[in-house]
Amino acid sequence: MLSLVLMVVTSLFFMGIVIRTKSITSGRKGPGIFQPMKDVIRLWKKGAVFSRTTSFIFQIAPSIYFASIIMAILVIPFGQYKGIVSFDGDFVFFAYVLALGKFFSIIGALDTGSSFEGMGASREALYSMLAEPAFFILMGSFALYTGHTSFYEIFTSLHFGSYISYALGILATFVLIMIAMIENSRMPVDDPKTHLELTMVHEVMILDNSGFDLGLILFGTNLKFAMYGALIANFFTGSFSILISILIFLVVQILFAIMVGILESFSARFRMGNNAQFIFTLTSFSILIFFGVLLIMGKFV
Amino acid sequence: MDNFWLIMSSAIIVGVGIFCIPMLPAKIKVFTSFLLVLLVAITTSIPAVNALFGTPVEFFLPGSVLFGEIPLRIDALSAWFILIINLTCLNGAFYGIGYMKTYNAQKANLSLHWSLFLIFQVSMLWVCMLQHSLAFLIAWEMMSLSSLFLVIFEHNKKDTLKAGINYMVQMHLGVAFLTVGFIWVYFAQGSFNFIAISDYFGTNFNAWLFLVFFVGFGIKAGFVPLHSWLPHAHPAAPSHISGVMSGVIVKLGIYGIIRVALMLQSELLLIGESILIISIITGIFGILNASVHRDFKKMLAYCTIENIGIIGAGIGLFLIGAGFNNTMLMVIGLSSALLHTLNHSLFKSLLFFAVGSVYQQTHSRDMEKLGGLIRQMPQTAILFLIGAIAIGGLPPLNGFISEILIYNGFLNGIHTIGLTHSTLMILSLASLAFIGGLSLLTFTKMFGTVFLGNPRQLLKNTPTEVSLWMRAPQYFIVAIMFSIGFFPQFYFSVTLQVIQSMMPISNLIDLEIFTPMITLMENVGRYSILFLVLLIGIFLLRNYFVKLQPITQNNTWGCGYVAPNISMQYTGKSYSKSLSKLLSFIVKENKKYMEIETSDIFPESRKHTSHYADFFEDNIFEQATKRLLRGLNYFQFIQNGKVQMYVVYGIFFILLVFFGTLFNLI
Repeated sequence: MLSLVLMVVTSLFFMGIVIRTKSITSGRKGPGIFQPMKDVIRLWKKGAVFSRTTSFIFQIAPSIYFASIIMAILVIPFGQYKGIVSFDGDFVFFAYVLALGKFFSIIGALDTGSSFEGMGASREALYSMLAEPAFFILMGSFALYTGHTSFYEIFTSLHFGSYISYALGILATFVLIMIAMIENSRMPVDDPKTHLELTMVHEVMILDNSGFDLGLILFGTNLKFAMYGALIANFFTGSFSILISILIFLVVQILFAIMVGILESFSARFRMGNNAQFIFTLTSFSILIFFGVLLIMGKFV
Repeated sequence: MDNFWLIMSSAIIVGVGIFCIPMLPAKIKVFTSFLLVLLVAITTSIPAVNALFGTPVEFFLPGSVLFGEIPLRIDALSAWFILIINLTCLNGAFYGIGYMKTYNAQKANLSLHWSLFLIFQVSMLWVCMLQHSLAFLIAWEMMSLSSLFLVIFEHNKKDTLKAGINYMVQMHLGVAFLTVGFIWVYFAQGSFNFIAISDYFGTNFNAWLFLVFFVGFGIKAGFVPLHSWLPHAHPAAPSHISGVMSGVIVKLGIYGIIRVALMLQSELLLIGESILIISIITGIFGILNASVHRDFKKMLAYCTIENIGIIGAGIGLFLIGAGFNNTMLMVIGLSSALLHTLNHSLFKSLLFFAVGSVYQQTHSRDMEKLGGLIRQMPQTAILFLIGAIAIGGLPPLNGFISEILIYNGFLNGIHTIGLTHSTLMILSLASLAFIGGLSLLTFTKMFGTVFLGNPRQLLKNTPTEVSLWMRAPQYFIVAIMFSIGFFPQFYFSVTLQVIQSMMPISNLIDLEIFTPMITLMENVGRYSILFLVLLIGIFLLRNYFVKLQPITQNNTWGCGYVAPNISMQYTGKSYSKSLSKLLSFIVKENKKYMEIETSDIFPESRKHTSHYADFFEDNIFEQATKRLLRGLNYFQFIQNGKVQMYVVYGIFFILLVFFGTLFNLI
C-alpha cells in the first residue's frame, strides 16, 4: 500500500521536475512543478470530441491503458514492504499487464482510421517488442543472483558486496532508465515536443484523444515514470528503516527526473531508422549483467 | 455401460453416420452429424474422464495373425488429449452448422464432408487410444486422409487442390518416418506394442530413434523446418476445419512427441536441449512470419507454428528437468506444455471461427481489402479481440496462465543448474518475451486492419453479423477461456495428476512440493479477477466523468489536411513494414514491378506485387525439390504414356520375379 501511495505522490510532481529542469537548462524560468498535474486536472474537466470513425474500442482503450499501469504499480514493492500483488514470477505479470495496456492503446490509435496514428502505433509496438528481452534478461539475471523470482524477494535479498556487484547495479540502473525512456516515449527514442506527426511515436497515437481520456493517458504516463523510478529506487532502499527508505525513494525519484530532464536537454533524438538497433543494444547490456552475475556466482570456471 | 462398449460404440456411430448422412436432406444432415459428433464425444469422454481421475482403461482387441493382440489403453495423457479433441470437434461441428449453410446446394459434397468429419474425429480419438504400432499407423493415416478431404472441400479452386496435395505429400513423409521408427523397434524387440519402444530405449542409444519419431510427429505438429504444410493447408480449408485442425490435429503431433518422450531412458539432456532450441526457433520464426503476411488465415496458421514452439519449449524443459532429476523443472515443463495445448486449442479455434465469420460475410481473406468491420459485426469483433488477447498471452485470459508457468520453469531452471543451461534458459526467457512482443504486434495489426478504421474497399454485399449458430460456440469457448484465466489452480492440479500418473512407479512425484505452485496459480487467478474489476471500475468512473461534459462528434483529425480519403488509411502492410525491413534476412520480401524509365513520357497502368517468402520453404525445400526434379527428369522416358511400354514393364517384372524365385535369388 505504501508503495502505491508513494508512487502516486511522486507522479504528481515527476513530470514537473523534468519540465523545470529542461527550462532551467535552456535558460528559462519554467512553470511550477505541479503544472503538468494541473493540466491533467484541467483536461478531466473538459468535454470530449470523438471521431465518427471510431468505435467503442476508442472509448475503452484509455481506461484499460490506465488500469494496466495501476495494476503494474500494485506489483512493485517498497523496501521491506511487499507490493499489494506479489508472487513468484510477478515481474512477468508486471510486463504482461503493461503489454495489455499497450495492446489497447495501439488498437485505440488504429480505431481512428487516420493515416498518421497507425504509424505511431507501428513504432510503439516495434520498440516495446525490442525492449522486452532486455527487461526479461535483467530480471532473469537478478533471479539467478538472488535465487528468488518475485520483485519483493529479489529486492530484499539483493545486497551489494563486491566491485562487480556495484558495476552490475550501475548497469542495471542504466538499462532500467533506458527502458523507462523507451516505454514512456522520451528523448533518445522519441521527442515528445516534436511538432511533425511523421516523426512522432507516442504523441501521434493520442492525436484524437481529448478531454477526460487524454487526461487519463497523460496521468498514466506520469505514473509510469514514477513506477520505473520506484523500480530503480528499490535497488537502494533494501534494508533501511522506513523513514530513511522514504527519503531515499524521494531522492532517487527526483534525481531520476532531473536526469531525464538533462538527458532531454542535451541529447538529440536518434534517427528513426536507427532506433531499433539502439533499443536492441540494451539487450546486450542485459547480457553483460547476466555474465557479471555468473562471474559473481562463480559459475565461470 | 462398460468402457469397452463405450469405446466400441464410437466406431459403430461412425458406421451409422456414414450410412445415414448421405440419405438425409441437407437441412437435417448437418444437425444429424452434429448429434453424432456429440454422441461420439460423450461415449469417449466418459472413459477419458474416468482415466483422468484414477482408473486407466485398458483392454485388448483381437487382432489378426499379423497384428497379434492390439492393446487399447486410455491413460491420463490420452484422456487429456481425448477431452481436448472432443471439445474442439464439438465446437467445430456446431460452428460448421452455420458456416456450411451457404453450401447447402452442394448436396453430395456436403454429405462427404460431414461423414468425413465423423471419421476424422473418431480416428483422432483412436490415435490417442491405440498402443499398437500398426493399428496406430492405420488410425493415424485415416486421420491424415480424412483431414485432407476436409481441407479440399472447395476442390474447384486451384489453390485449394494445390494446398491439399502439398498437405498429402508432407503427411506421408511423416508417416514414412513413423513407419521406419516402428519397424526399427519391431526388429529390435519383436513387438508392436508401445511398451516395446520403452524397452528399446532402456537398452539402446536413445537419440537416433527419438529423432526419427520427432521428425515423423514433428511434421504433423509443424516444428520448423517441418512446418511448410501449415501455412498452405489452413487458409485453404473451411474455417471450422482450420479451427479443428489447428486446434487438435497439430496437437496430435505433440501427443506423439510427449508419448515417446515419456519413454526415454537416457540422453535426456541432449534431446531436451535440442527440442528447446528447435522450439524457440519455431516460435520466433512462426510469429515473425505471421506478423508480415496479409492473408489473415495464413497469419493464424503461422501463429499456430509459434504456439507449437511454446508447447515444445515446455517439453524441452521437461526433458532437461528429467535429465537433471529436477522434479520441479520436469513437472512445470510438462504441465505448461499440456496446459498450453488446451489453451491453444481453445483460442486458436476461436480465432479461426471469428475470421471464418469474416470470410463468410466478405469473401476475402486479404486484410488489406477489409476494415471497419466492428461496426457491422460487433460481436465477432469482440470475440476475435478476446482471442487475440488470449493468444498474446496477456492477462487476464488463459494464454497468460501457461506462459507464466513456462516463465516460472525457465526461472527455476536458471538457478538450479550449471552455466550452459543457465545461459540456455535465460536466452529462452528473452526469446519468449520477444515472441510475446511480436505476437502483440501481429494481433494488433490483424485486429486493427480487419475490424477498425474505415472499410478499405467497397464490398459486393454489406457484411452483417453472423447467425447465433455461429456465435454460440465461440461464446462457449470464451467462457472456458475465462474459467482457465480466473481459476487456473483447478486446471493446473489436473495436469499435475496427469503427470503423476504418467510417471513410472519407481519415480513417483511428491505432489506436496507443488502446493506453492498451486497457491501461485490461485494467486494469478485472483489477481486476474482483481485486474478485471479494476479495469471495469476505472471504465465506469471514466464514463461517469465523460458524460458530465459535452460530447461532440467530428472527423478524425487529419493533421491539418482537410480532404483525407479512405485509401490514405494506414495499412496492415505498412504497420509491419519496419519490422520486416529490420529482419529482412528471415522474412524476405519478393517484389515484382517495372521501374519507370526516363524515356517513359506517357503514363500507363502498372502492376506492383510483393509477397513474403517462407525462409525454409524457399531456400531449402524449393531448392532441394528443384534439384531432385532435375535429376529425375532423366528417367522421364520410363513414364512415356504408351500403354504398350507399361505392359512390357509388367512382363519384365513378372519375369524378374519368376527367374528370381527359380534361381533362389529372392
